[in-house]
Amino acid sequence: MPILPTAKTPPKPALADLTVLLYGQTKAGKSEFCSHAEGALYLATEPGLNSLDVFQVPIQSWEELLAACAEIAEGQHPFRTVVIDTIDNAYRFCSDSVLKKFKIEHESDLGYGKGYALVNSEFQRVLTKLAFLPYGLFLISHAREIEVETRTGKYTRIVPTLPDKARKIVLGMVDMVLYCDLELTAGQDGQPEVRRVIRTKPSLYYEAGDRTGRLPETLDLDFRKFLDAFQTTVAPLKSPGAAKAPATK
Amino acid sequence: MSAAPVVSTYSMWSLFRNCRKAVEWRYLRELVPLERDWNLYFGSLIHECLQVWHRGRDLTEVLALIDRLCPNRLQDEGQRRDWHLATAMMKGYAGRYPVEEFEVNGLEKAFQGPIINPATGAASRSFVLAGKVDGVVSIGGDHFLLEHKTASQLDADYLERLWTDFQITLYAYYLEQALGIPITGVIYNILVKAKLQQGKGETEEEFQARRTELLAKSKTGKTTAKRKLPETDEEFQQRLAEKYAEPGMFHRETLYLSRDRFDVLRSELWELTQAFLDARRRGVFYQNTSFCFNYHRPCAYFALCRSNGNPNVLENFYQRAAPNEELREPSGEANEPVF
Repeated sequence: MPILPTAKTPPKPALADLTVLLYGQTKAGKSEFCSHAEGALYLATEPGLNSLDVFQVPIQSWEELLAACAEIAEGQHPFRTVVIDTIDNAYRFCSDSVLKKFKIEHESDLGYGKGYALVNSEFQRVLTKLAFLPYGLFLISHAREIEVETRTGKYTRIVPTLPDKARKIVLGMVDMVLYCDLELTAGQDGQPEVRRVIRTKPSLYYEAGDRTGRLPETLDLDFRKFLDAFQTTVAPLKSPGAAKAPATK
Repeated sequence: MSAAPVVSTYSMWSLFRNCRKAVEWRYLRELVPLERDWNLYFGSLIHECLQVWHRGRDLTEVLALIDRLCPNRLQDEGQRRDWHLATAMMKGYAGRYPVEEFEVNGLEKAFQGPIINPATGAASRSFVLAGKVDGVVSIGGDHFLLEHKTASQLDADYLERLWTDFQITLYAYYLEQALGIPITGVIYNILVKAKLQQGKGETEEEFQARRTELLAKSKTGKTTAKRKLPETDEEFQQRLAEKYAEPGMFHRETLYLSRDRFDVLRSELWELTQAFLDARRRGVFYQNTSFCFNYHRPCAYFALCRSNGNPNVLENFYQRAAPNEELREPSGEANEPVF
């Protein structure tokens, strides 16, 4: 009997194939959002998960994070999605580890930007490796405002709290950048109502993005609604392997 | 009917020689970084000032232009820094060159011409070359291009590199065709950007911390330390003026062009057009990774290349802008009627 295929394998898109950066103000509901992801495992680099019923590994150093990642990579576990909460603290741990290794107090102590480059390389190495694993990867970050001077003027922009270079590394490897925001809308009684939303498209005033280009611009900050939107609009359009490979090459 | 030839510039061909991928980002995808590059911005500001200065040699007019270009300098730290530097630089420049040995024949001279196949003499149907020179001047009947440069540092390497400047040979060649005058050489007019910073002073807490430190080190248990106050605008201008009185802050370098260079140039330019057409036809614009950190800083498209063109990076850190910005008229001096 021939073993070679006679038809293409249909796409098996899953959110668990994606790398997502989720950021927003404190207490916006970012961690709660990720807790609904399939088989979520939290690498908790900061406290704040007390009110959530989730599997978590408290992480207090880069070495602990690497050890957890190594165990995840072995695959002897039921988890399907890894949530780093927060990636900002993970970056700080990475920085501390490199400083300790090189016996310096600050990245600038190694001349010509070498200290910063070492931290960023190590950070990128680990994130890339993690993103290659067959699990979904959610990176959580807080939000801050920065002033951006463009050719046409200055703008205040909301961005993840990661340092500039680390932010560019993370944005360059994720499939989605989701900004958790509050939107003022009129309620049924005509009174103003605050709605928690996710913004998926970039703007001059905040960073966001969706490689598939298919998610609606704004979604409720509700994992089920996000999943519905993903499965109805994104999933049928994706080809096998299209999610992870290009983002992490 | 064939399409009109693409208007190309020195910047495009120079970038194509250095990194084809960067050309694809800039000239085919029309992307520029969202954040303004201060060096480019400040260079343009000084170019505008020098145009005004060489047109009428009226320093008041130049200083008024700087005031207009930095309208929010009282509130905006960046604009205040630009204003201080540009003001001191132009005052220093006017003081350094009270009279010129050359006569200005034209400023901001634009040109456009065909790119010729040296083997057949036929013009390219795909490209024309356009550019704009800062000035054309004459000394005793000989014509020279005047090229303004702002530099962070003026050293031997910088001056050596001027000989290899592909831009000026290109401009001289095309200007000769356009104006019908022989170009003898080029005068590089180099202005160095002072690295001085306006003193910010220290807060009461910072002063107390410093004082405590000094007292701890003092054998007598006393110190004469006083709180450092912020440097006033006048004090900073004075310090900058002293800096710009130093001989090394302005430099003029005259280079003579050899006719042989024109032949080499024509041949190279034609080769570049053929390589570009081939790359475009095959859709292959490869990266030159040796160029990623030219001038010891990442290329403007480094983040984009590193992410393999991830749309998240593209859409959040870049914006679209039509190429060949250097050919546009400066703001406020456009020839088009306002209505």
